[in-house]
Amino acid sequence: MKFFLSGNEAVAFGLLETKVRFISGYPGTPSSEIIPTAIKLKKQYNLKGYFEWSVNEKTATEEAVAASFANLNSAVVFKQVGLNVAMDPFMNAAITGTVGSLVIISADDPGPHSSQTEQDSRFLAFFAKIPVFDPSTPQEAYEMAKCAVNFSKENELPVMLRTTTRISHSRKDIEINTDGFKNDLDIDFKKNQDRFAATPHFRYLLHKNLNQKIDKISQNNTPKMFFNGKTLIITSGVSFAYLYDLVIRYKLENKITLAKFDMPYPVNQDNLQKTVDTYSDTIVIEESYPLIEMQIKNRTSVKGRLDKTVPNEGELTIDTIKNILIETKILNTEKSDIVKPPFKKPSLCPGCGHRSAFFAIKNVFKDDAIYTGDIGCYTLGINLNAVDTVHCMGASVSFAFGFDKAYSLANKKKPIVATIGDSTFFHSGITPLIDAVHNKASFLLVILDNSTVAMTGNQKTPSDSEDSFDNPANSIRIEDIVKALKIKFFKTEDAYNLESSEKILKMAKKFIETNNEPAVIILKHPCVYTKEGLSKNIHFNNVFVDEKLCKGCRICIEKFECPALVFDDTKNVVKIDAATCINCGQCVKSCPFNAIRIEK
Amino acid sequence: MKIAILSLGGMGAISLSKIIAQIAINSKLSVKSTEIHGMAKKGGLVEIHMKIDEVDLSPFISKNEADFIILFDAMYKDYALYFGNNIIGLTENDKNYVISKFKDIKFANSFLLGRFIGAQSIFTKNDALKILENFKNKDENIMALEDGFNDI
Repeated sequence: MKFFLSGNEAVAFGLLETKVRFISGYPGTPSSEIIPTAIKLKKQYNLKGYFEWSVNEKTATEEAVAASFANLNSAVVFKQVGLNVAMDPFMNAAITGTVGSLVIISADDPGPHSSQTEQDSRFLAFFAKIPVFDPSTPQEAYEMAKCAVNFSKENELPVMLRTTTRISHSRKDIEINTDGFKNDLDIDFKKNQDRFAATPHFRYLLHKNLNQKIDKISQNNTPKMFFNGKTLIITSGVSFAYLYDLVIRYKLENKITLAKFDMPYPVNQDNLQKTVDTYSDTIVIEESYPLIEMQIKNRTSVKGRLDKTVPNEGELTIDTIKNILIETKILNTEKSDIVKPPFKKPSLCPGCGHRSAFFAIKNVFKDDAIYTGDIGCYTLGINLNAVDTVHCMGASVSFAFGFDKAYSLANKKKPIVATIGDSTFFHSGITPLIDAVHNKASFLLVILDNSTVAMTGNQKTPSDSEDSFDNPANSIRIEDIVKALKIKFFKTEDAYNLESSEKILKMAKKFIETNNEPAVIILKHPCVYTKEGLSKNIHFNNVFVDEKLCKGCRICIEKFECPALVFDDTKNVVKIDAATCINCGQCVKSCPFNAIRIEK
Repeated sequence: MKIAILSLGGMGAISLSKIIAQIAINSKLSVKSTEIHGMAKKGGLVEIHMKIDEVDLSPFISKNEADFIILFDAMYKDYALYFGNNIIGLTENDKNYVISKFKDIKFANSFLLGRFIGAQSIFTKNDALKILENFKNKDENIMALEDGFNDI
């Protein structure tokens, strides 16, 4: 039967068909749809299997490694920066090897479209010395997911499946055989201390064993060849699909030979060198970093990223690749202008509780504070000038620590306000808070709690009282964690209650001015992007601008920054956009002239 | 057939692309698409490229290649023209019509589906109705489709 599947959905189908029955991970664009698809399929086909979000990528990876040691086919799923968090168990899994399959799915985001870095996960496969598959289309993502599972089992090694945004978020009609889901499992952990608890003395032997496996795998890894032209283009991943389409479109079959690696590491270097040496010109075009290119030993006739024929930053789109073919005189046509859509500043949703929280924080701390932010929807607090730094998961808390200690060395007192979401707090905000309490750092931490991982599609968090299969789960309360740390200033408020939020923020300000201790406030409000959150949200009959009172000063637009507040240039007043406004009335307080009115 | 869809988050463009894909699959035609959306959950640009019954491996559409551009918001008109001239658009009046009749801008997708079905010649209105009949809000969606179809 044919399904219209995204690359991510196709990966989930592939994993389940090859009997992967343990999938853990942490949400992150563009990887987030793999686990929900597995959850859906488990329900639909009544499968035995553990498919669930974990608290962070390191934990998720360790859980999956152990499941593999117990002879269960396993996978772990995250975005590329999630792999950075998982590096410790990831590196060691290559050394110990695996028992049941272990597939590491890392979704890269060249561009970047929604990430901090453009890093190439394939380089980390190379670094760990594990094989990596690099699909060109959602169809290949499906096939390579199955290949990766089998390859891992055969070689007793973790195998990486690297996708990119354009694979994860593209769709294709894919023929799926749904009879392939089996339920027979053979769980058995065979103890072996020399392997699973090896002391450094034995690690050398395990490393030697890994090197032998990788050498053997590389022997058989030669590229698939397409077309028959004078210039050799070596490629893999999504870049292959673009090159293939360009060859057909511009009839370059007699000008280009394409060499495609399904597995860009480890390649057979001697064989690759022989191929390169038979062509007068070679170009390597691969998405992200020059992984195949750097495995070519003699690169004197090779063009690519290293000699800057291929740009070293940004996404390799079909138009960018077309322009490379024009510049290298393979293609003779007019260059494509790289047109990007008009930039529109991203904003928090109309009615988002985070906006109200930032508005209150800004009213109390003004422009005096250093605002350390974090990764999630609330990064968009930048629009209210209530976020000065965004670095990595959990860094709002550790940055607040670092700033406080740096300023106090110079005997300077600077108010510092950290903002972090609930899921990010669980992910990696707890450990720096422990450090701050123990080492007496003075700052205010505001936990913006909307009880969901909103940015990546409203996944569940550890505070949920149900798991992804609606079974009861133990709800972990952030309040209890904060209380266990004996934080001396701790309050909770609904972010929509602007007046009381401001009151406790003022108290917290005084507390951190006079104490060398962190203060914590939880500002809660359910995510209005969820059906449940929206249906329970306060909903006035109408929120409107009284045009007689509106001075056209734009204070509401600048200070409150709700996308439903739009400026009407013809009338010189603000109006409310009916298509996006959810009638929450939170903007009322942002107008000093009481021009925003509500009808109850 | 090559289709570009430009929309704002929350208006149902991704569902629209899935409906068109299902119509293609039911007609035994190959289909592929790609979608990209930025950080904002609501109101940000959602850009979808679709190819139906094309041999290409990649769903990307280059300059002047689109047979149709389905445009949910006039704000991206200039960008739409990069892909081609055949724009199936949602005017400010259409938008107000959809909001006042269906109380949710989400039904703009079925309205534009109707317009698209009327404009092209591969699929029939019945092909589209077959998909919408399985929808939760099938009555509203079918009504919106008819409205779009009858008003080209």
